[in-house]
Amino acid sequence: MALPRLRTVVLVSGAALLTRRALKRRIARSPLWPLPALPEPVSGHSKRRATAVRKLLVTGRTEVAEGVVQLRLEGPALPRWSPGAHLDLVLPSGLVRQYSLCGDPEDTGAYTVAARLVADGRGGSREVHEQLQEGLEVEVRGPRNRFPLTEAPGYVFVVGGIGITPVLPMLRALAASGAEWRLLYGGRSRASMPFLEEIEKLGADGGRVTVVAQDEAGHPDVAGALADLAPGTAVYCCGPEPLMAAATAALPEGCVLHLERFSAATGGTAGSGDGSGGTGAFEVELRRSGRTVPVAAGQSVLAAVRAELPHVAYSCEQGFCGTCQQRVLEGEIDHRDELLTEDERGDSMLICVSRCRGGRLVLDL
Amino acid sequence: MSNTQPAAVASERTHLKARKVSFAWEKTPLHWVPGDPFTTHTINVLHLLLPAGERWFIHVYRQILPYIHDDRLREDVIGFIGQEAVHSQAHDDVLPHLRELGLDPTPYTAQVDWFFEKLLGDRTLPPGRASRWWLMERVAMIAAIEHYTAFLGDWILNAEALDRKGADATMLDLLRWHGAEEVEHRSVAFDVFMHVDGGYRRRVRTWAAAFAALVFLWQRGTRFFMENDPTLLDGKASFKAFHASGKQGTLPSTGSILRSVPSYLSRSYHPSQEGSTAQAVDYLTRSPAALAAEAETAKGA
Repeated sequence: MALPRLRTVVLVSGAALLTRRALKRRIARSPLWPLPALPEPVSGHSKRRATAVRKLLVTGRTEVAEGVVQLRLEGPALPRWSPGAHLDLVLPSGLVRQYSLCGDPEDTGAYTVAARLVADGRGGSREVHEQLQEGLEVEVRGPRNRFPLTEAPGYVFVVGGIGITPVLPMLRALAASGAEWRLLYGGRSRASMPFLEEIEKLGADGGRVTVVAQDEAGHPDVAGALADLAPGTAVYCCGPEPLMAAATAALPEGCVLHLERFSAATGGTAGSGDGSGGTGAFEVELRRSGRTVPVAAGQSVLAAVRAELPHVAYSCEQGFCGTCQQRVLEGEIDHRDELLTEDERGDSMLICVSRCRGGRLVLDL
Repeated sequence: MSNTQPAAVASERTHLKARKVSFAWEKTPLHWVPGDPFTTHTINVLHLLLPAGERWFIHVYRQILPYIHDDRLREDVIGFIGQEAVHSQAHDDVLPHLRELGLDPTPYTAQVDWFFEKLLGDRTLPPGRASRWWLMERVAMIAAIEHYTAFLGDWILNAEALDRKGADATMLDLLRWHGAEEVEHRSVAFDVFMHVDGGYRRRVRTWAAAFAALVFLWQRGTRFFMENDPTLLDGKASFKAFHASGKQGTLPSTGSILRSVPSYLSRSYHPSQEGSTAQAVDYLTRSPAALAAEAETAKGA
């Protein structure tokens, strides 16, 4: 009796040991074995990074033109960015303002932004000028790029004042790569226009740069700058609303216009829909439901849609939780949230805050 | 069977709203409970499970909205969804920081993504009874999981042992802000389940599935972190270590976890009977992240 029992014990414990080793090997390779993995992981790979902030130290503060202060914000291992990108600054009062990055994209030790003081603004620019002194820590989100430099045979930049900030890194990149570019740069006076010296140096070969100071020569000739452009030329415009309207009106056929909303109220450049797109009325077609609803001025798309589809999902109504994201089939979206990535903005919107630039949106609802 | 109806405590109900929180991670060390990698990594498993898990809650709850015919409950669900969405984002934003510290969570999270998106996702079922059954099954699972998130929320709000050990302030704020909102909305998932189905057999069945899944995922998660931690030579996770941390108060105690089982399975159970909304709301008036969110949504936008 004793022998077979011993054999059983040896066999069972041997099998248990082998199973344990086999399991260990598999779990080392695949932590949740036997579950498979999603081929394209989602968790931890989101580009939204909506709740992540960095605390950067203000280590430099220089007045680069009349009323324009440039800040150097230092931190460890900062993400790289591409020309046209902006940073959200969470100011000491809790105000959040966007400022275009105007330093070196490869510098992972510091970010540089510049802000103009707007006397009658909403307080953001005043806070930047008065409170962000050297030695202060400031929270930032981003960087993000909503004004990226695209591949084109040639480039024309139409810039007003502080609107130069997102464009400056573009000019440096284009000058380094030997691309074809021109710049029309307008401002109140030469003393109030930042980075003039560097820009004139960048454009020294072949009169690429035209500087028009209002106190010397009046308004810049936008139509003239955009006349006779080669087809395919990319036109970048950043500045006050009338300048962008002029660029939109004068855009020749076959050229692509890239606008960066300049919000005078913030003294920064990367405006994120603080009224610049208007709050006017438009209509929304709900394609799958086969219905069209009017959206009144001042009413949200969500409110209009809920009248027809009471079960549509939403929550925060302030554009940060993302619950009300809907696919957009047609129409030009005026994005006013702070959550979606550039890719997501291509074909979807948060209907609680975002609106329409044209007269009509078509939603997949 | 003198009391077989879930008895809600009315005073525990509060208005639910998502908070636009943010956290700066660059100063949080790998072992954010100093000198205690096991406790650190056991709690870190939350960052592995919650991004995908809470996205899945929202995915299911978007489908349940048309089944809710009570305006107060609908209002609760709307608030619940927003809070869960921000929780998911906040834990997701910890993962790149772990990667920067040399502990890439992707092998594990890609499998958790599969678990929630495929295994527990929408299946190609015939419309009607089969898809309704699968929806109700998932709603009941969420109610069971929320029993444990409320349990953990209540625990973290009271886990003074972590303060005494000098745990990282930012990580503690993330966990306590999240825990407080879990306590705030602890009744919603259960109320939804009772409103749309409420079957006791389903409650027991889905509790068993959820509990087994949580034990499996948590044990493997702690093990994954301990074995892949670049600063540990021979990192191991064991039940003994868990029990010891529970005794110290840096993790929930084994006894409290066991006691939470019969409470959920009691026919008169209602989440409002456990935990304290007042304590949660009190923390949210002090939480640095919640205060900053308040300032931003009030003055910014």
